[in-house]
Amino acid sequence: MDRTQVLEVLAAAKGDAVSVATMRAIPDWYAAGGAPALNLDNRGCMGAAAALGLGIALARPERKVLVIDGDGSLLMQLGGLATIAGSGARNFYHFVLVNGVYETSGHQPIPAADKVDFAAMALGAGYAAAYEFDDAGVFRERLPGVLAQEGPVMVALRVEPDEERKPLPEDRPKDPAGHLRAQLAG
Amino acid sequence: MSSETRAAYAESIPAAKLHGAIAGLGVTHVLTVPDTHQKTLLASLAADPSMRMLTLSTEDEAIAVNAGLWIGGAEPIVVIQNVGLFAAMNALRGIGVDMRVPALLLVGQYGRDVARPVEDDPATGVRFMEPVLRAMGVASYRLDFESDIPVLETAWRRSREERRPVAVLLGAPTV
Repeated sequence: MDRTQVLEVLAAAKGDAVSVATMRAIPDWYAAGGAPALNLDNRGCMGAAAALGLGIALARPERKVLVIDGDGSLLMQLGGLATIAGSGARNFYHFVLVNGVYETSGHQPIPAADKVDFAAMALGAGYAAAYEFDDAGVFRERLPGVLAQEGPVMVALRVEPDEERKPLPEDRPKDPAGHLRAQLAG
Repeated sequence: MSSETRAAYAESIPAAKLHGAIAGLGVTHVLTVPDTHQKTLLASLAADPSMRMLTLSTEDEAIAVNAGLWIGGAEPIVVIQNVGLFAAMNALRGIGVDMRVPALLLVGQYGRDVARPVEDDPATGVRFMEPVLRAMGVASYRLDFESDIPVLETAWRRSREERRPVAVLLGAPTV
């Protein structure tokens, strides 16, 4: 699947959910309309998107939290799957863009790129449900049902690596943490 | 108590007293990767219905979950040990410092020899902690005696007012 297309589908379904986007997905997430409202960019600590989202989910159980993670990023804090499952956060939705490479550092392959099954690992860790999609049309069709479920839910999305190094959006908040905190408080 | 056996540089503090001070801060969530030094404190906090304890897989997650909770309006505290904070340095830098997220880190100085000054401790996990935090611009306070308990509130206020991580280093195992 094309990442841009996948993120457009997800952004259209975001509603009043909070999103956390990470690394190279950030420009596409903004372009798709998923940000800057009710969004947090994670650029400072690769692998931390899910944990940032978990904290928001626990503080704001009335809102859904959509984490847009990467496969290389998730591998950096894989133990977080157990933490998330253990937390019982029912409003947590974990979308993992699986492209098999570290796109941010030059498209080097992730470990066991042709073997790792993120949906299976999420289920093994104790997520309530996990899915994998490799067809954007099917993803669009199934997404409302996925988001209607109680979490934590993992959705692994098979996407092609993006060769284009897109610039970060100019409308990104200068103080992303303070910006989102103020939006949620307001 | 003889000079040979007295804990000259740190003493065990009752968990109930630390618990009381933490509760007084209005803490809503306790984030921990369990710490040997704070075993009795963690047991006490876990039994407190006014705050939720969440055990995490790694300390870098604790830093990030702390950030998410603060963004969402909660009031978390991170309870970990020194070696775990070394493992979380990139999260401390990239989230705590760069994203300007308040964090009160209650850190057990696991392995500390309380009969020596910290600076002379043979354990690198103990001796290197303060210099590393200083290098990262993270303020720290020592909590070595009961009379030091007010540093918890000092560190808490400073973390919130200055939007930064602040560490409180616990010298001896709680009782």
